[in-house]
Amino acid sequence: MSVVAERLKWNSASLLWRWSPLALISLIALVIPWIVSPLWIRISTEILMWAGLAQSWNIIGGYTGYLCFGHGAFFGLGAYVTGITMIHLGWPFGFGLLISGILAGLLAAVIGYPTLRLRGAYFAIATWAFGEMIRQIATILEITGGAFGMQLPAFLNLPYFYYVTLLITVIVYLTTYLLLERARFGYKLLAIREHEEAAEMVGIDTVTIKIKAFALSAFFPGILGGVYAYWVTYIHPDSVLGAQITDFMVVMAFLGGIGSLWGPFLGAFVVQLINRYLWLVWGEGTFYLIIIGAAICAVVLFIPNGIIGLMEARIFSPREALKQLRRIVKW
Amino acid sequence: MELFLQTLIDGLLIGGLIIVVGIGFSLCFGVMHIVDFAVGEWVMLGAYIGYVFVRYLGHDPMIYLPIIFVIFCACGWIIYPLIYRAVSGKRHNPVLMGLVFTFGLSILAKGGALSIWGYHIQSITTWLSGKSILLGVATVPALRFSGFIFGILVTVLFMVFLYRTRFGITIRATAQDREMANLLGANVRNVGSFVYSLYAGITGMAGVLIGALFSIHAAMGAKYCTLAFFVVVLAGMGYVPGVIIAALILGLLQSFVGVYIGGRFNLVALFLVMYVVLLITPKGILRKGI
Amino acid sequence: MLLQSHELSISFGGLTAVDRLSLTVEKGMILGIIGPNGSGKTTFFNLVTGVYAPDSGKVIFDGKNITGLRPHRIAQFGIGRTFQIPAPFSKMTVLQNVMVGTFIHASTMKAAKEKAWEILEMVRLDEKANQQVVNVTLEDRKRLELARALATEPTLLLLDEAMAGLTTVEVKAAIELIQSLHTRGLTIIVVEHVMEVILSLCHRVVVLNYGRKIAEGAPDQIVNNQEVIRAYLGEHYSARR
Repeated sequence: MSVVAERLKWNSASLLWRWSPLALISLIALVIPWIVSPLWIRISTEILMWAGLAQSWNIIGGYTGYLCFGHGAFFGLGAYVTGITMIHLGWPFGFGLLISGILAGLLAAVIGYPTLRLRGAYFAIATWAFGEMIRQIATILEITGGAFGMQLPAFLNLPYFYYVTLLITVIVYLTTYLLLERARFGYKLLAIREHEEAAEMVGIDTVTIKIKAFALSAFFPGILGGVYAYWVTYIHPDSVLGAQITDFMVVMAFLGGIGSLWGPFLGAFVVQLINRYLWLVWGEGTFYLIIIGAAICAVVLFIPNGIIGLMEARIFSPREALKQLRRIVKW
Repeated sequence: MELFLQTLIDGLLIGGLIIVVGIGFSLCFGVMHIVDFAVGEWVMLGAYIGYVFVRYLGHDPMIYLPIIFVIFCACGWIIYPLIYRAVSGKRHNPVLMGLVFTFGLSILAKGGALSIWGYHIQSITTWLSGKSILLGVATVPALRFSGFIFGILVTVLFMVFLYRTRFGITIRATAQDREMANLLGANVRNVGSFVYSLYAGITGMAGVLIGALFSIHAAMGAKYCTLAFFVVVLAGMGYVPGVIIAALILGLLQSFVGVYIGGRFNLVALFLVMYVVLLITPKGILRKGI
Repeated sequence: MLLQSHELSISFGGLTAVDRLSLTVEKGMILGIIGPNGSGKTTFFNLVTGVYAPDSGKVIFDGKNITGLRPHRIAQFGIGRTFQIPAPFSKMTVLQNVMVGTFIHASTMKAAKEKAWEILEMVRLDEKANQQVVNVTLEDRKRLELARALATEPTLLLLDEAMAGLTTVEVKAAIELIQSLHTRGLTIIVVEHVMEVILSLCHRVVVLNYGRKIAEGAPDQIVNNQEVIRAYLGEHYSARR
């Protein structure tokens, strides 16, 4: 066989090998509503939503290295904006989603402008305070229903919400892949994360890039918040603006591996399943907070690069395991 | 005019107590470059432990202040090595790792408190509760006043300690240049342990007083975390003397917003001021922050 | 006149780091800046590149007043700079590090990659292009530092103690490299402690002490200047001479 053909064959084989897990998962993901019970459709939707949220956090927290501890506010904002546009303005769902995302992004840019010019610690503090403030605002305002929350029109169609969430999450991951793993934008973010001063020296406008990253990272939670609102039909400040939203985003991204493409997905998968299991066993208590807190501490102490980090360091590598398996099977 | 004076005094008194929370927190950052997200939780736990003592052993919560100080110092001493581990090693961005770690701690503490004591709001009273003192033209609640005195006392002791004792100088040296201090013989890790334990101790004590002054509930930590952050942003990160002024300003702000606009807006007001400060003078009002 | 600093001053909390410093750099020249530790050399670089804004004075580059502009704008105007302690981007490869530098002028990733390869070849780092930066030696990191600065296509290059920590052999190689860069038309300012570098490379030398310029002239003049000797070695020694 000619050299070119040989190389093509090798390439397509390795391509197949690399992309097949993803293809398999995608296929399963597409048909889930037809093959599992409603409970599992719900759980799958949750996992997808959190995967999208965790990845959004990852954009500013993991790739750029600016930890945002008030990110849940964008989710809640999206929920409320969608609710308001649907109820008070009578706009269609999709439109409300878009407005939610855009407003979230704009707000992020406004908040980011003074806070991103400073060091990471200030940003963490300021965003945390921002999150608390948004929750308080939602409790005060009339248009949000105050502490009583807001009721959205009922639309009871589980598969619909599953597919909408799937679509948005796919977009989140695709955007992250294209913009952050492949394009100059991602390189610039990494440079900022690793050595911001040197990045400036090399001509990168760090402030503008950071603001863009922050706005992008807020856009998707805004949309996902809107979807969530319509899905659960009832929202109130503690359910969509509570600190636990950010807590979950952070622990999922960290556990999976911050700064990586698939880390947040892994983290969301693991954490949400464990969360659901705990609900089953202990009921809806507050014990899960202890677990989350302990998990964050443990991850920072022992596996700061998350599961993906462990895989990259070959401590825990499915590829290695698979190689071993093939070797055994060949015998 | 009377209302104005009353509000003013109220604000100053509260500010005095907040100084305690702010000083420990600021020192923590100044010396170990650790932003302790769990600062509010130390306050909350202090209040709850005070409540537990009063509930099961009786007597006035003030009596238990020294014991609480010791307990919390011990807790700080135990926890610090973990924090130290989180911020050292080959991790890049040690400050942020420390941040995340203490963030995790705060969640853990809050979850623990909620699981043990639930959502009920508790309160404790002391012999000072309900009593008033006449100070010139204004009547001042005795408890608030003693909270203020407590704050001033701690501040003075702290300042004396930092600026007049040998160990205090070591601490300040470590804060300014860690490597150099290390080279000059200061055991940096011990300094860190000591500072963190001290910080936990005084914050726990402040928690008892705050618990007596206001109500105790598991979610109260967030408020004091915000206040500590605010104080430190205003004062400049790591600049301890600025904390006094910042805490007083904060107390006044809280007081005036509470009386003239409505208590529900205090977080909004706080954040707006913080936002503006960050925009204009990110290194604190006196420009002395790190 | 490519770069001109006019009465540049900056103090940090009572300590005057740079004191009314005025100097000129002609196009195509290699200027050396020497002085005892703490004399303001790196601070001067920081002022020129926009890391600090001066308390007073001006910096004019290629006819433009760049005083107080942000570093990335100044880099875009054509001033490149290396750090005393190399500051590479840790989680990237050598090649990727240089690519980041090319982003100012390269319009596509492909162009960026090609340009980066060219530069790596020029500094002889091409063999290590795909290595993670953490695995690379100090000398290579210094070359990477230089390569990254070159990637921004500067007209003026500021080298801050580029020779620190290098062996004699490595220093010779570095001198050659800098000379080849100069031949390509780059104007260079070199801050150095290693005299051999100053003497062999520079057309003119400026001596700083306590933030002030105490001498300026050709390298061999400077070495014999009384003030300079006194600044470096103290009163006793200069008196003995």
